[in-house]
Amino acid sequence: MKTLLLTGVLLAVSGAGAVKVGVLIPLSGAGSVSGQAAKNGYELALDEINKAGGVLGKPLEVVYGDDASAPAKAVPEFVKLVTVDKVDFMAGGVSSAVSVALSGPAKQYNTFMAWIGAAATPVEDAFADHKYFFHYHPWSYYNFEAILGFFKTLKDKQGAKNIAIAYEDGPFGSAGIDATVDAFKKAGFNVVLTEKFKTGSGNFGPLVSKAKAAKPDIMYWVGYDTDALPLATEIKQQNLKLGLIYGTPPSWPVGFEKNPLANDIAGLSLWLPTSPNKESAAFVAAYKKKFNNVTEEYFAPLAYVNLKSLAAAINKAGSVDKDKVAAELARINMPTPFGPLTFSKSLKTQYQGFKAGNWLHFQFLNDTRVPVYPANFSQKPVVWGK
Amino acid sequence: MDLFLQTLLNGLLQSGIYALVASGLALAVGVVGIVNFAHGEFLMLGAFMAWAASAFLGIDPLLSLPIVAVAVFGVGALTYRVSIRHVLLAPELNQMLLTFGLGILLQNLALMLLGGNTRTVTTPYQASSLNIGELSIGGPKAIAFGLAVVVLGALYFTLYRTVLGRQMRAVAQNRRGAQLIGIPVDRVYLIAFGVSCGLAAVAGVLVSVLLFASPTVGLVFALKAFAIIVMAGLGNLTGVLWASVILGLSEALVQTYVPGGGGWSDAVFFLMIFGTLVIRSFRKAA
Repeated sequence: MKTLLLTGVLLAVSGAGAVKVGVLIPLSGAGSVSGQAAKNGYELALDEINKAGGVLGKPLEVVYGDDASAPAKAVPEFVKLVTVDKVDFMAGGVSSAVSVALSGPAKQYNTFMAWIGAAATPVEDAFADHKYFFHYHPWSYYNFEAILGFFKTLKDKQGAKNIAIAYEDGPFGSAGIDATVDAFKKAGFNVVLTEKFKTGSGNFGPLVSKAKAAKPDIMYWVGYDTDALPLATEIKQQNLKLGLIYGTPPSWPVGFEKNPLANDIAGLSLWLPTSPNKESAAFVAAYKKKFNNVTEEYFAPLAYVNLKSLAAAINKAGSVDKDKVAAELARINMPTPFGPLTFSKSLKTQYQGFKAGNWLHFQFLNDTRVPVYPANFSQKPVVWGK
Repeated sequence: MDLFLQTLLNGLLQSGIYALVASGLALAVGVVGIVNFAHGEFLMLGAFMAWAASAFLGIDPLLSLPIVAVAVFGVGALTYRVSIRHVLLAPELNQMLLTFGLGILLQNLALMLLGGNTRTVTTPYQASSLNIGELSIGGPKAIAFGLAVVVLGALYFTLYRTVLGRQMRAVAQNRRGAQLIGIPVDRVYLIAFGVSCGLAAVAGVLVSVLLFASPTVGLVFALKAFAIIVMAGLGNLTGVLWASVILGLSEALVQTYVPGGGGWSDAVFFLMIFGTLVIRSFRKAA
């Protein structure tokens, strides 16, 4: 009995003072594919950090919370992590709608946020005055800058002129849609259709009928993984002739690449397992060793980089003092699977990690995602349907 | 003109899946007298079973449909025995809370066991369509519409031309009276509730082909099914098909012809519930 008590006390003492990171990600709901990919990235990073001696001499602790891709579930989960689990830092964050809702409690508790997702500009507005907000994912205007660059190439090489835009009516799809239309027009495109839809409804019949009447060259859709197959099915069923279907969901449905309907559909990614850099190859090898498979979801390496960089900054700061850690993280220059990670100002926030130059464009070809643009990443030329 | 005709076709085809979901719900409300808030979760069970049969056994979802329907009938019958049966005489609020809780339980079980990922099935006919001039009729949606007509026809036949149907109508009209003349009320309830869940699963199989399987896939269809049974009149099976067609057509017309209609289409069913209830109350007052 005495031994048992002593062991308990020793364990409690050894755990006391360990740095705790709260990770709030969508393990269910609309963004769950990204959330689960992110969880694997965090698990892998945690293993490596603790094998290398942990943080401040103790094993790092990660406490997960499921935001269910819903603000109403995310806020109490966030408050619980901060006030009950008493985490020192918060990481995670995929959904923009969720992140906007969290801005209030984050400011109330003055929480340190190392945030991996949430690209919509309302999130940037909401956290503009938060001094501990580090944003890793490019903002939507950086994403759009990359997309516009790709479409301009298609205009020059394939004669793409008419664009139909289908966007989900939440913050993810709707934020900045007017600016998107203006930017396309300014670049010389005709925006022949701008139509919103309810994500997850699967009812794309009328939208595709309208697109068919508008005769676009490119169907550009901004939605979630749940919309990918119903939209592709409807386009095929209604025989809508397109040069390219281009989507920007945060993740794609499990097994989508195996479906013949996915063939030639293009998308945007921060990373693919074939990305030609040393850190990417090392990440893929470590991931394969731990999980016995290879992921194509970029939220896995993004979460991995998120935790590794945060741990490195805490170790350099030598304490969990938020100002000291923020100063170290702001100075970081770390090689990652996406290229070097550094933080600089965005339009409204102080600490922005990756920007437009990190994006690559792929097409689903022969059951896999093949990079097709930009030229330095491209493995095959773009398959143009017209 | 082509756009208008295609819009009508889109609405008509969409109404098939709505009718399939609503027919089961109408049976539960009409015969058992219980508003089953877990109906969408029985649909979700069907969608996942069809996906599992396709992903692990290579069985086409349409071939697995009868097995899935029977399996979910069994789950429904068990649910009736274990829970529903005990609240049949309880206040309606208790019944609603029970089925609401059942829905949450099933959804969270699916989340725990299968995760929140969206799962899709691949079939050779997934994108099949019949093209007449510029008009296109999607294969799986046409199958759903055909199945809805067959299912509703079969339900109508069972209710009005068979002994079981007579028993169901008797039980629906007067539970105690039916019991007094020797009808096995409990067995009739069990069958009706099980069939209602089985029908939700049939819709789920088609949803897995048309859309995807996920723990939350049933919610949007269950909400629309509630709108349909309110429009048709609670428990009115014959009204389900026309109410579904009205909903499907209204949504398609709003999506096509109202600016920003894609965002408004999901408000259509709320408007229909509202409109139906207001008109009915005016009629009653008159």
